[in-house]
Amino acid sequence: MALARFTKPVDGTIPVPALLYDDEDLVTSQDGVGIYDGSAKSPRHQIGILALTSLRLFFISVPAPADSFYLDLSHVVRTDYYAGLLRSSAKITLHLESSSEGGKDTGSGDLIDELDWSTWECEVCGNRNGPGWSPAKAAVCSLCGVPRSVSSAAATPSKPSPRLAPTQGRTTLNSASLPLLSEGASQVPVSDPESVGQVIACPACTYHNPPSLRTCEICGTSLPVAPSLKQVTRSLTASPAPSSAVGSEGASFIKLSFRKGGDKPFYTALKRTLQGKAWQTTRSIARVAVGTTSPAATGASGINQILNTFQNNAEQRSTSLSSALSDLEALASQAKQMVTLASELTEQIRLAEARSKAEGRASLSAGSEEAEAANFIQTSLAQLGLTMANAPVTQDMVKDERKWMEELARELGGLLQQGQEQNTEHWEDATSMASSPGKDNTKATGIMRGRGIVGLDEVWGGWNRARGVALIPPSTFLQVLPHLPSYTSPPLLTRTFTSGLSVLHTPRYTHVAFTSRLSSMITLSGPSTTLEVARDENVTVSLAGEMIAEVEKDGEICRDEVQVDGPFGGGRDIRWWINIFEDYVWDGQQDT
Amino acid sequence: MALSTHTTRSGFLLPSIHSAPPFFTQQPNPNTQKIVTETWSRLILSYARHRNLFFIRVEDAETQGSEWDEILRNDRIKRRLLPSHLSYILSEMVAKNQAVYEPPKQTRSVLLYWRLPEEWAEVLHQWVTSTGQLTTILTFYEITDPPVPSPLTGIPVVLLRKAIAVLAKTGRAQIIAVADGEGARFFAGTGR
Repeated sequence: MALARFTKPVDGTIPVPALLYDDEDLVTSQDGVGIYDGSAKSPRHQIGILALTSLRLFFISVPAPADSFYLDLSHVVRTDYYAGLLRSSAKITLHLESSSEGGKDTGSGDLIDELDWSTWECEVCGNRNGPGWSPAKAAVCSLCGVPRSVSSAAATPSKPSPRLAPTQGRTTLNSASLPLLSEGASQVPVSDPESVGQVIACPACTYHNPPSLRTCEICGTSLPVAPSLKQVTRSLTASPAPSSAVGSEGASFIKLSFRKGGDKPFYTALKRTLQGKAWQTTRSIARVAVGTTSPAATGASGINQILNTFQNNAEQRSTSLSSALSDLEALASQAKQMVTLASELTEQIRLAEARSKAEGRASLSAGSEEAEAANFIQTSLAQLGLTMANAPVTQDMVKDERKWMEELARELGGLLQQGQEQNTEHWEDATSMASSPGKDNTKATGIMRGRGIVGLDEVWGGWNRARGVALIPPSTFLQVLPHLPSYTSPPLLTRTFTSGLSVLHTPRYTHVAFTSRLSSMITLSGPSTTLEVARDENVTVSLAGEMIAEVEKDGEICRDEVQVDGPFGGGRDIRWWINIFEDYVWDGQQDT
Repeated sequence: MALSTHTTRSGFLLPSIHSAPPFFTQQPNPNTQKIVTETWSRLILSYARHRNLFFIRVEDAETQGSEWDEILRNDRIKRRLLPSHLSYILSEMVAKNQAVYEPPKQTRSVLLYWRLPEEWAEVLHQWVTSTGQLTTILTFYEITDPPVPSPLTGIPVVLLRKAIAVLAKTGRAQIIAVADGEGARFFAGTGR
C-alpha cells in the first residue's frame, strides 16, 4: 500500500538521466532489484533497475517499463538494512511518511505541486522558465532568482492549462490507451514515444513546438492545448495504481531486495543522500523566497527585493547597536548603585561604631569582635577606594567654577586623610618625633595611609577609583591641588622635584624640614646611603633619592662615590656626607 | 668623624681632608666641587714643590707606582682619585694659570707652575748672582744640573727657557747659541 501512496509513476522507456530535474544528480544505480510493498512482494516490481538521485529513488521495471515509478526521498524517515541470509537476499527497508512539509504549509506545497511541469514567464526579467527544474527550484526564476508570484502565475495564459489538461487528457486518452493497456504491457512503451513525438504546430508560424510549451518558441503565439507527454504518463498510471492498492493499508514501508548484490554500496549511497537532504535545501530556499514576497506581492521583486534586503539588514544592525548601548547604560547605572551601596555600608558601619562606643567598654569582648569585622570591611572597602560617605561631587551639582574646585578639594582632602582626623591633635608631637615617622597614623586608611609623602599619580588613581563615576581629568586634578592645603589638616602641599616627579606631602616633608632632618641623621649616625635614608624616612628609595638630590643641590651634603666591583659588574655605591668642604681651612703642608 | 692630618713617608704633611672619602669624589654640586678643585690644586702644587716635581699626567691616577701615589691614593680609607676627576682638576689648574699643558695641544699631561715663570726668573737670577756667574755664558745643562745642587736642579728646559725669556725682556739675560746646544748669559739688573 505504501507503494501506491508514496510513489509516482514514470515512463520506464526513457533513460533515467533524462528524467532528472536540472538540479538533480544521479548518485548510483543497481540492477536486479525487487520491491516489497510492506512485507509482501510487489508482483509487478520484481526485476528492475534501482536508480538513486539526490532527490528521488527511481525504479525502472525491466520487463514492464510502464510499471516504473519514483519515490521522493523526502518521504523516507528511516532506513533499515538486512544483510541477507542463505537464499534470502539483502534488503533495505525504507520507512515512509508523508512529508511534514506538505502538512505544515499546504499552501506552498500546493503551489509547488501546481507549478510542476509547466512553463512560466518571470514577470521581472521575462525569462521563460522551463519545466526542467525540481518543484522547489521551479518556484523561483532560474535567471533572476525572483520567486514566481501567485498573481503572475494566475495571470499567465499557461496557468489554466495544467488545471484543464489533466481532465482533458485523462478523458481523451483513457479511452484511447486503455485498450492498449489491456492488450499488453509491452505495447505501452510503443504508445508513449508516439505521444512524445506529438509536436504542436504553431497556428501562426507553423513551427513545430515541443509539447511542453504553451506558447510558440519562435513567435510567442499561444499554442493550442495539446495533451503533453506528462499528462499521458500521469493518466496512464492513474488507472493501474488503484489496482495495486489492495495491499496492507497500515504498512508504510517498502523493501528493496537486492537479488544481484550491490546492496552495500547502494545502502551507503542512500544513507549519504538522505543525510544530505538536498530536497530540503532547495525547498526551503523556495519557501523563503516565496515568503518574502508575500508582504508586497506586487512590488517585491528585482531591484526592490535587493533594496528590501538592504533595508532589513540596516534595521537589524541598528537594533543590535541600540541594544548594546542600552547594556552600557545599564552598566553605568549599576556602577552608581555600587557606590551608593558602598556609602550605605560605611554609614552602617559608622552607626555600629558609634553604638559600640556608646555601650562603652562593658561588652568589650563582643564589641571588639564586631569592631574587628567592621574594621575589616572598612579596610577592604578602602582598598577598593569605596569608603566615601557621600556620592562624588560632580560639576552639575556645583555651578560656580571656584566652588567646584573647593568642593573637589574638600572631597579629595577627606579621601586622603581618612581615619586620620582623630590623630590630628597628636600631629604636632609627631612632627617633633623625627625618628618615628608614620607611627602615629597606623589607623589611617586614606590614600595617604599614614605616609607623609605620596606620588600624584597614585593620588589621582585612588581618587578616581573612589569616585567610580564622573572621573576627574588630570588637568582638573592639578587645578584642585592648590586648594588642598586649606581643606587638609595637616596641610598637604604639592612639590615637584627636578626630575619632574610631583608629590603631595605633609609639612614634615618640606625641603627645609627634610634637610635639617637629614643633616642631623648623618651627623648622628654617620654617612648614610640613600637606602638607609629611605628606610629611616619611611619613603620609597626613589622618593628618598629625589629628596636627597634636592638637598645636595643646596650644597648641604656631599657624596662619597665608590666603584664597587661585584660579581655582576658591580656598581656605584654612594654615601652621603655632611658638606665637609663648606668651611674647610687648609691644614696640610705649609709652603715655605 | 674626626679627620686628622697625616705625614707621608716622604715627610709631606697631608691635609685632614685627604682622609675624608668625599674628597675623592667629583661632586655634582658646582659650589662644592669648586672647593674640592681648589683644595686639590693646592695639594698637588705643594706636593710638587715638596718633591720637586714638575709634571703630572692623568696616567698617574690610572696606574699604581707613580711618584704621585702618596696624594692620589689613600689606602687607609681605600679611596683614590679617578682619572676623570684628575683630568678635570688639571684643566681647572690650567685655566687658573697654575699649570700649562706640556707638550701643548693635549690634555693628558701638564707642567706645574708651583712657581710661575716670573718667580723662576727671579730665582734663576738670584742663583746666578749668588754664584758669581754674571756675564758668564752658561749652557742649559749647567743650569739644570749644576755640580752643587741648586733650587733650579731638575728644572725642565721648557720652564727654564720661559724663565730666561722673562729675564731677557728686562735685559737681564741673553740667549746665545753655543757649540753643544743653547746657552745664556746673565747680566746684573741693569734693566730695572
